[in-house]
Amino acid sequence: MKLQVKLALYNTLTKLAVVLFTAIITLLAIERISVNHIEERLEKSHQQLIKNLSSTEINTFLVNQRIYTDYNILNQEYVLIKPVDYMQEVDDSLTYRTASRLVANTRETYRILSTRFNFKGHTYLLEIGESIESIQELKSIIKQFTLIVLMAALALTLVSDLIFTKYLLAPFYKIIDRKLIRVNDPMNFDYKKVDTTTQDFKLLDDSISLMMRKITAMFVLEKQFIANVSHELLTPISIISTRLENVMLQEEMSEGGENKIFASLKTLNRLKAIINSLLLISKVENNQFDKNDQVSIGEVIDEISEELEDRLEARNITLYNRMIYRHFMQANRALIHTLLFNIINNAIKYNLPKGNIVISDDLVNHNYTLQIADTGVGMDAAEIEKAFNRFEKLETEEPESFGLGLAIVKSIAAFHNIDISIKSDKGRGTTFLLTFNR
Amino acid sequence: MNVLIVEDEKSLALEIDQFLSREGFTVEHARSRKSAEEKIFVNNYDFILLDLGLPDGDGFDLLKAFKKLTERQDAVIVLTARGAVDDRIHGLEAGADDYLPKPFSLNELLARMHAITRRKHKLESNDINIKGFRINIQNRTVHHGEERINLTKKEFEIFNYLVLNKNRVISRTNLTEHVWGDVLEINSDSNFVDVHVKNLRKKLSQFSPVDWFETVRSIGYRINI
Repeated sequence: MKLQVKLALYNTLTKLAVVLFTAIITLLAIERISVNHIEERLEKSHQQLIKNLSSTEINTFLVNQRIYTDYNILNQEYVLIKPVDYMQEVDDSLTYRTASRLVANTRETYRILSTRFNFKGHTYLLEIGESIESIQELKSIIKQFTLIVLMAALALTLVSDLIFTKYLLAPFYKIIDRKLIRVNDPMNFDYKKVDTTTQDFKLLDDSISLMMRKITAMFVLEKQFIANVSHELLTPISIISTRLENVMLQEEMSEGGENKIFASLKTLNRLKAIINSLLLISKVENNQFDKNDQVSIGEVIDEISEELEDRLEARNITLYNRMIYRHFMQANRALIHTLLFNIINNAIKYNLPKGNIVISDDLVNHNYTLQIADTGVGMDAAEIEKAFNRFEKLETEEPESFGLGLAIVKSIAAFHNIDISIKSDKGRGTTFLLTFNR
Repeated sequence: MNVLIVEDEKSLALEIDQFLSREGFTVEHARSRKSAEEKIFVNNYDFILLDLGLPDGDGFDLLKAFKKLTERQDAVIVLTARGAVDDRIHGLEAGADDYLPKPFSLNELLARMHAITRRKHKLESNDINIKGFRINIQNRTVHHGEERINLTKKEFEIFNYLVLNKNRVISRTNLTEHVWGDVLEINSDSNFVDVHVKNLRKKLSQFSPVDWFETVRSIGYRINI
């Protein structure tokens, strides 16, 4: 559940509780107070009546041992005196109760005082009642009113709380979106403060920025390290390779020795190629290239086709160029060349003899796309998953592959905001799809 | 011809020295920017092999300072572990004649020095004669007698490089690098170099036997003269 909703609900529930509590207290108080008043009045009436027992009106009844009842005109009050079994010691305490009585076909609720008294050697039960119908009505009015107020308050507070918390939490979501979701790379993190007056969000914003600064520093350090290490390795390799070359030239060597030296030179070359690839990747990731060239994709493809002519020929592979658009992009020409070269080179390397490669392009949602499809060995899902990882090698007859070609492709593509996807079936060829985002 | 090697890495300088001395060059060393400056401003060299990462300063600055001197014909080849394209362009723009990223093959260095010599001195004898074949570097043609042999660009490059490094075994890797440049995923075991060599041999042998053009076991090729 969203914080906004939780806050609104909490607010609503507390308000509800307060209103309910108040209503109940009010109801109880009103009842208590009015009942007290009535009871006081009943007591007065009782004293009055006891005084007036000898009055002729009542006296007549009592003497004849008949029940005396008396209702006033509106049935608001009544008096009832009823002879009961004689008791020497009569309990003359007053008790109150609420009961309804049917009087002249209408049911009324009364607060009734009842007591007993002895009069002229007889015991009588006395009830004096006063109608509390008006109080009941008042109570139900208050109940209805409370209910309406409750509902209205509920709706109003819910809506206002939702609106207010939404407004209140807007910077929070802005922080999440701008500083966390849309960050693909700590290197281009947006350190601009999100506009908010809420202290807590300022703290959150600052903390994220602080964390990003730390991460960026570590990132930079790591990239520097890779670059430096690679760089430092090239000099010793240089020394060894020149030394070996000189050894070759000087001594009369056995055939075996010569072979070993050449093998070593080849290994050194491999090392050099790996280091250069890593250096290239780290330079691309460090944004150490500019993108100031207007690059024609078609031209680059033509160039590469020409460069790779001999490889195509050697493996008897036909390359079909079916491009129909002339797409120019702002990029680094050398890098785009490397990217496409590596993909097309792979399409040759992993192709079958007499296979073919088809290069085609298209416009999808105003974005230029390029497809490079081969009829080669293909990859299964697991291989596609890992294709762009460094040092990931396909099982291949190419012992010289060290699995950095596609890692380079990936870094250059990211640098130029190009999406790359691979579609492939094992044994059915592979298609690289490049989407050049504008 | 005299060469100044500006390189702080002693072992490397020694190896280059050894190699170039065998090729008949006179070699001097400088191990820091300071000593390089002293030598450069006093002597003339045919070649200055300049490492960019010097302990007491940047080779680029040295290069710029040197280029301000007029009347100097010294060819500068930049040798550096900074192999990126941008660095090469930067070096060439600063006035270097050529650029070799480390690690490089000594044969490659020699080939480049020869190329510079030819460019600089507009050598009359652009023609190299070998076993009845005449190679013209300028026009990139090969003749046998009066007849022109039709070689592709790559075939010519291979032939030229092997002739330049005659009597030395040139490995496939070395040859690949020279002809195709610094391709990141070198497939030195791929046989596409061999395909070119095979075609080249076929074309040459139509005119005369090419037993001097040998394949060395599993290593590479050699032209024996």
